[in-house]
Amino acid sequence: MTATTDEVLVKAQNVTKVYHTDEVATHALRGITTEVTAGEFLAIVGPSGSGKTTLLNLIGALDAVTDGHLEVMGHNVARMSKRQRADMRLNQLGFVFQAYNLFPVLTAQENVEFVLELQGVTDNRTERAREALDQLGLLDFADRRPTQMSGGQQQRVAVARAIASRPRLVLADEPSANLDGENARILLDMMHELNEQAGITFVFSTHDPRVIAYARRVITLVDGKIDTDVVKEREAMAEQT
Amino acid sequence: MRLGSVALKYATRSLTRHSRRTILSMVGTGIGCAMALVALSWMDGAIRMQVRAIAESGAGHIRMVHRNWPETQEDTLRLQGLEEVLATVAETPHLEHYSVRAHAKGLLAFGTRTAPAAITGVLPKHEMAANRILRRGALEGRYLEEDEEGAVVIGRTLARRLDVMLDDALYATLSGKDDIHSAMLRIVGILDTGSQELDLAVCHITLADMQEITGIPGAGEISLVLSEERHSAEAKAHLTETMPADNTVITWREVNPSLAANVDSDTAFMRLMALIVIVVVALGIMSAQLTAVLERRAEFAMLSALGMKTRQIVSMVMMEAVVIGLGGAVVALGVGGSVSYYLATRGMDLSRWLDDDLGFADVLFDPYLYGSFGVWLIGYALAIAMATTIFATLYPAWKAAQVMPADALRTTG
Ligand SMILES: Nc1ncnc2c1ncn2[C@@H]1O[C@H](COP(=O)(O)OP(=O)(O)OP(=O)(O)O)[C@@H](O)[C@H]1O
Ligand SMILES: [Mg+2]
Repeated sequence: MTATTDEVLVKAQNVTKVYHTDEVATHALRGITTEVTAGEFLAIVGPSGSGKTTLLNLIGALDAVTDGHLEVMGHNVARMSKRQRADMRLNQLGFVFQAYNLFPVLTAQENVEFVLELQGVTDNRTERAREALDQLGLLDFADRRPTQMSGGQQQRVAVARAIASRPRLVLADEPSANLDGENARILLDMMHELNEQAGITFVFSTHDPRVIAYARRVITLVDGKIDTDVVKEREAMAEQT
Repeated sequence: MRLGSVALKYATRSLTRHSRRTILSMVGTGIGCAMALVALSWMDGAIRMQVRAIAESGAGHIRMVHRNWPETQEDTLRLQGLEEVLATVAETPHLEHYSVRAHAKGLLAFGTRTAPAAITGVLPKHEMAANRILRRGALEGRYLEEDEEGAVVIGRTLARRLDVMLDDALYATLSGKDDIHSAMLRIVGILDTGSQELDLAVCHITLADMQEITGIPGAGEISLVLSEERHSAEAKAHLTETMPADNTVITWREVNPSLAANVDSDTAFMRLMALIVIVVVALGIMSAQLTAVLERRAEFAMLSALGMKTRQIVSMVMMEAVVIGLGGAVVALGVGGSVSYYLATRGMDLSRWLDDDLGFADVLFDPYLYGSFGVWLIGYALAIAMATTIFATLYPAWKAAQVMPADALRTTG
């Protein structure tokens, strides 16, 4: 699959985000400049309210920047139509949210298949869905509804769904927040493996030090600004910011 | 449909997940639409009965007259080729009864009393069959007999004005073309219709007498009562084919434009009522659907975040609406159909609400009402329920597609 190259997937220049609520302006992001290259396994950390979710939402084209320049997959997000953004999310991005990830009325397999159906995949759709579930060790749970699975299993289904569509970049907002240590470890192991084996790029936010330990690069946000951006020794030569 | 199989599963399971709400929505939609259906059935029945009352009170559904009559309303105008017309009129399709008449204005006198009257020359058997005012009234004495000479039947009000009884002889003066004719007429019957207005209009003699007294041969009109008003065009076509060109066929609407306007405004009023009911139902559905959509904000946010397009989200919500609409149609048919059936078979007695006088504008109306019932109800139930739900769901569906994923996911996260 995609090998680690220097291809830039996300390019942010002085990105700011201001929320206006009842005349009060919240500066969630105050000038973020960074790049994400293909193949990275990047953690965004920082205290609550530092802007992690906001940054992931902007990269995921779920929200609009207030100022600055944001390019995702080579497209200026601000210039994209609603439809183009939906297309990019469908075909090039995968999402794992902190909670409410799966549709409760659909089984694990149907949840995964749904995205493939939206993509217009008609051949081997079921096989592809089952393959993705298999990669996350969930084949036995294919026919279960979300309510019949543990939180950890649900998050793994969400990851299976995110990768089944063969995205170039998976965005995960605190994927392990509701999981205990053991389940968090299993989830991260699998994400890490997908990154290493399949070359899928992951950007995830977290509070959890054990999760941070998996990351090869860690961006720390404080008060809407990048405080530190650390690339770990082992990968230092391959990935530069 | 642009929706795939998983999306369809999603939509149908969303309905069954909230099965109680789904059923309530169907029942609500159904009852609302049933009300509209009943209003329409009632209206249709009421209008039919009104038109029948008008047709049977003398106007006929259609009427053949001299071509100048619609403009001049001249009593002395006569139908052309009466013989040949009478030979074919009985074959008119959907004909129930017909009546051949000639009219004249006149003055009746008895002793020192006089009263103006609109005198009608009739063929007694035909008139009795075609005219409900004669059939429903209480007749003292008897009606005219065929070929009878010098006999008259008058209304109770007229009899009172003249202070006459059966067998009294009236001195009648009738206006002809340019002259005035007179004759003695013996009262053989006094008709009490229960309505002063109608009573006043009854003064019948035989057509032969009318021709004899006025010196004008022929008849002024043939009024036809059909089985249903809707056959008017067909019947008119048949008559027009065979009649002389100097005659024309007009409908009761042209005979009596003010009554037609009345009927039309009644129709418009009932339609408005049905529309108001439908609008109220639509608002109810809209608010229920909107609540349902807002409740599932996070789901729509997720759909949108995953890359579902506006049109697909709208289709999915509309899919659910279609199912609710179908269920609503079934309920509407069940409830509305039974009420309409009751109205159509048992009818409703209105005499309690009306005063005794059922005469209005020379028409004897009915003191009861029957609704209409027919296969058309199925089509209407489906159309009303579907159109209402689909229309009412457009806005909520659009709203669902407008959910901002970032906001919605944050608040539920
Ligand atoms: N829709 C919004 N309207 C107003 N303010 C907002 C909105 N979303 C986020 N904020 C504010 O922006 C700031 C950044 O929020 P964000 O959710 O990105 O933080 P976070 O780092 O993800 O926090 P957490 O670790 O608690 O998830 C916060 O101060 C928050 O209150
Ligand atoms: Mg957050």
